[in-house]
Amino acid sequence: MSSLTPRALGRWFTARPWHIRKMATKGPVNSRPASKYSGSSGTPPNSRILALARYSPWSSSFPGTWRTRALIQSAFYAVGIVLATNYVDSVWFPPETGYASPREIKVAIEKLKQAFPEEDRVSTDPSVLTEHGSSDNSYHPASPHAVVVRALSTEDVVQIVKIASECRMPMVVYSGATSLEGHYSGVSPGSICIDMSGMDKILEIHEADSDLICQAGAQWEDINQALKDKGIPLFFPLDPGPGATIGGMVGTGCSGTNAVRYGTAKAEWFLNLTVVLPNGEVIKTRRRARKSSAGFDTTKLFIGAEGTLGIVTEATLRLAPRLPTKVAMAQFKNVEQAVDAVQDILNSPYGPHIQCVELLDDNMMDAINIAGVTTKPLPVRDTLFFKIQGDDPAIKLAAKTVQVIVKKHGSDRFEFASTDQEAEDLWQNRKYALTSTMGAHPGTRCWTTDVCVPVSKLSELVYETKKDLSAAGLRSTIVGHVGDGNFHALILFENDDELPKVNDAVHRLVHRALDLDGTCTGEHGVGIGKKQYLSEELGEGTVELMRSIKKAVDPMNLLNPGKLYPDNNQSRTH
Amino acid sequence: MSVTYHRASWNNLFNSSFEVSNNECSCLSGRHLDGFTLPCHIVAFQHKSRHAVLPRVPRPSFMQRKFLPSSLFIRAHPRVISPNSRYPVKGLRFVSSSTSSNSKSSFSARTTTFFALGSALIGGLLGFSFAYGPQSSVSAPPTSLSTKTVTKPRYGSAEDFQKAIEELKRTFPDEDTVSTNPEDVYNHGFSVNDYHPGISHSVVVYPSSTEDVVKIVKIATKYRMPITAYAGATSLEGQFRGYSTGGICIDMSQMNRILEINEADSDLVCQPGVGWVEINDTLREKGIPLFFPIDPAPSATLGGMISNGCSGTNAVRYGTSKGEWFLNVTVVLPSGEVIKTRRRSRKSSAGFDTTKLFIGAEGTLGIITEVTIRLTPVLPTTVAVVHFPDVRKATEAVRDVMNTGVGIQCVELLDDVFMHAINNFGQSGRTWPIKDTLFFKLQGHNHASLLESAKVVKEVVKKHGGFDFQLARNEKEADDLWHDRKNAHYSGLALVPGSRPIATDVCVPVSRLPDLVYETKQDLSTLGLVAPIVGHVGDGNFHAQIMFTNEAELATAKVVVERMVHRAIAMDGTCTGEHGVGLGKKQYLVEELGAGTVELMKTVKRALDPLGLFNPGKVMCSPGR
Repeated sequence: MSSLTPRALGRWFTARPWHIRKMATKGPVNSRPASKYSGSSGTPPNSRILALARYSPWSSSFPGTWRTRALIQSAFYAVGIVLATNYVDSVWFPPETGYASPREIKVAIEKLKQAFPEEDRVSTDPSVLTEHGSSDNSYHPASPHAVVVRALSTEDVVQIVKIASECRMPMVVYSGATSLEGHYSGVSPGSICIDMSGMDKILEIHEADSDLICQAGAQWEDINQALKDKGIPLFFPLDPGPGATIGGMVGTGCSGTNAVRYGTAKAEWFLNLTVVLPNGEVIKTRRRARKSSAGFDTTKLFIGAEGTLGIVTEATLRLAPRLPTKVAMAQFKNVEQAVDAVQDILNSPYGPHIQCVELLDDNMMDAINIAGVTTKPLPVRDTLFFKIQGDDPAIKLAAKTVQVIVKKHGSDRFEFASTDQEAEDLWQNRKYALTSTMGAHPGTRCWTTDVCVPVSKLSELVYETKKDLSAAGLRSTIVGHVGDGNFHALILFENDDELPKVNDAVHRLVHRALDLDGTCTGEHGVGIGKKQYLSEELGEGTVELMRSIKKAVDPMNLLNPGKLYPDNNQSRTH
Repeated sequence: MSVTYHRASWNNLFNSSFEVSNNECSCLSGRHLDGFTLPCHIVAFQHKSRHAVLPRVPRPSFMQRKFLPSSLFIRAHPRVISPNSRYPVKGLRFVSSSTSSNSKSSFSARTTTFFALGSALIGGLLGFSFAYGPQSSVSAPPTSLSTKTVTKPRYGSAEDFQKAIEELKRTFPDEDTVSTNPEDVYNHGFSVNDYHPGISHSVVVYPSSTEDVVKIVKIATKYRMPITAYAGATSLEGQFRGYSTGGICIDMSQMNRILEINEADSDLVCQPGVGWVEINDTLREKGIPLFFPIDPAPSATLGGMISNGCSGTNAVRYGTSKGEWFLNVTVVLPSGEVIKTRRRSRKSSAGFDTTKLFIGAEGTLGIITEVTIRLTPVLPTTVAVVHFPDVRKATEAVRDVMNTGVGIQCVELLDDVFMHAINNFGQSGRTWPIKDTLFFKLQGHNHASLLESAKVVKEVVKKHGGFDFQLARNEKEADDLWHDRKNAHYSGLALVPGSRPIATDVCVPVSRLPDLVYETKQDLSTLGLVAPIVGHVGDGNFHAQIMFTNEAELATAKVVVERMVHRAIAMDGTCTGEHGVGLGKKQYLVEELGAGTVELMKTVKRALDPLGLFNPGKVMCSPGR
């Protein structure tokens, strides 16, 4: 289109002024137009424009030297060519839909099938695609994948990455599927879902070094079970949702109840990762030494990156000695009292013996009584659960201190789980909070969200949130890793009509946390659900830094697009 | 025939007196204009002899006829009609009828046409490449990280640097803020604690706020001047050496205030020039029962600790700076932008942690101007010392002690040479047996639990041949014992008068440490070098302090270090456990991490600092390759 423009314009300009005049006035052709019009008084009304037309570099009466003329002409052509190429570029390679066309997707699926001819490796069964692209526990818009591929080795992943980048197909990694913010939802028009659940082997256990090498699809519970079965007195202390796998735990930057004592995934539990980069290169981020100051730690680049910078295929985990534990609980009149007690306990000399401190509010306790596994009904009050670790005398002393402190903060009841079985049950109830909550309210659905604030601000946050939720007429349960200032709200609703109300409540909750110098997510990750808050939390500069790293590592934006990084137009709007 | 195809220039296009070479054609192949070759030929004819045959001008090709609109052919202005025009050139039939009739202008018209089209094409191609280049995002073929072509960073000239220094002086009119005193600029690029040759900076600036640092970064960017941050100056691998072209050294010593202490949240906000010892002293004075557990060299400051990815004796219990002790850092990026990497909550899974990007980057990615650190409760501790017949037994004992899970805050190994050095140094109140020795710092909630832990430790070490186990009877004695360990570096230096040390460290999986220490000690003693060894053995990390007095010894020492690093890497370890890479270890980075990982680091470096101004030459060999 734009290539035609110079031609038409050229024609117009080439028409010499007297031609134009002829057209305009039907008068006789004058052979020396320029001199005539410049002097005469009887100029036609449009003569001024005509006089200007002689400055056209295509005009034969152009006053400048031919060099000027050539220069102006070439400038004109240059602009024309640039416009034309830009236009062609934008038509052929539109930036928004730069991913594979439906036809190319078919080609990619064919290639994948050729690369993995075994049955059940490549699936395009609609139910499988939907199952891998959406979660029952999150309500973010999701679209199914175009194809699901089961990877069994790092080489498989490399092959998939190569095919995907040839065909410009987005890739989304899937393993435990316990994430709550839409991390593994499909990308339109079609994405390759790499299912890592087949890569679940433990490769090496180094008891003497307290570390272990496993594949990304291994579940943390299986790892701990395997260690127990082999009689190795070590365990991996990160404990997110049951069913979570190592790869997903790295991607989300997870933590769990043990974070009070052992820290989160962003600490030093992942010694080394084997990662397939978007260009198909396989790197190991570190070696197996417990510490290293050889440059900045590229391991940390992939922790919390939600599969947008590389695909983790193997991990070296550090293990911790397994210590005897006891479970205790204390009831409080309200949540604030409970939260305040926790900090005093953690800052006491017995702080290091506290492995977990969990808050369950009255609604949650009620839900456990109805749907959980309990031998005797628990009091329906705001409750703190403690897991105390150490040898027997240490546990006894720690328990005594805890008892004194909780009493000071208004608790009227403190008790130990009488047997190990009871302790186990209590802890199971806590771990399965989501299931209990939904079991206690049949027919409802549940939106789970989490935020984290500096610990001294937590009681304020919990208080305000409980007030807000009940004012909005929403039923909810609250569980919190109060030792870290992190808590989860499980908001119940019955149908889609209530969804906007829930969404608004979550929105208010996040803003409340950010106002208290906190974060929009303590351990669930950003995914689709929280990316709108990232710019507000971290600042535009920090988000831009993350984006520029993403751009440098994955220039084609093929790895899990649409997650984590705020869309450019939605930053600042919240 | 005397037709000349001339190399045209702006002048001789107009000049009718072309040079003529009979029966010879010099054919021009293209004209160079700013490095680009014009794809068209600018041809000038001159008719010399009267009976010359007119050059045949080719008929316009199909393409020309079809696609070049007649309007594009230019009719020359009468003033520029060539003197040759009396020999009408045929073949301009494709010029529009009105033009062809005017044969007077035909020659210039043709050259002009070619010229115009040529430049248009060049312009178009240039424009295309400009428009196409940077936004290669989606349509570009998959680019490998390693094939990206980036030119080596270019720095300003000496004059530029002079201008920069003047501008710095104008920006910071205070007398003390900008210093070009030769002694000052050299001292900021030299350290007596390591063996790297000193390299002066061009200028030292002492900023007192984040805004000052931004101003310095902007000036440095304007004049393409390297920037190196300097604070505690305790690093051992030449991290704060100047760059060969000269550069700006930013001395953080004026930014040494503690800004906020949040006791209830167990965190603290401070500037990067504060030392960790100062922080712990302040907390103790204020009666706050918390402390910051990362303990590198005593005068290290937080900015340097972050940049080095440091750790110390407490790492066994509390981990290193790559753990979760730095909650948030305020960083001035190479673009001059100021960012905060996080907020103040203890944990967050909001994306990958950009804080970690600056930990261990040695000032190559940004300059840290504010830090939020996490604190931990102070617990009762005591110290126990036990001797072993050899290092292998000692390190094996540590491995077993660690897996019992008792409250160990630190485990330090000092070899026989070091024990001798301590005796020799004379600051210790006792005379130690010259044996390989372990120092334990035990931690517990009360005295009883400390005794309990000590009992467990005593049993385990006994099994491994440890003897003379002694536990500090009181706090004073514990302090004295630990003081001997803390003085290790200086007592080592005093061992060989007039010597300088190569202080080097490596780290391996703990089970490999006995082999590594044993082999290294043998290597050192066969070469006759004096090298006390001290190790944070709980982590598999150990330091060798190789003393040298002359060049020959330095050369031998370097060979030993190289062998030691290769040995460590072969054991799945790292070339540096806590000293950082700087200048001294960057040659091992590819061997340790693999080319792909180093390339990833370079990619990140390029994305953040495309001009390569931040601490060039450290950590990675030239990010532009």
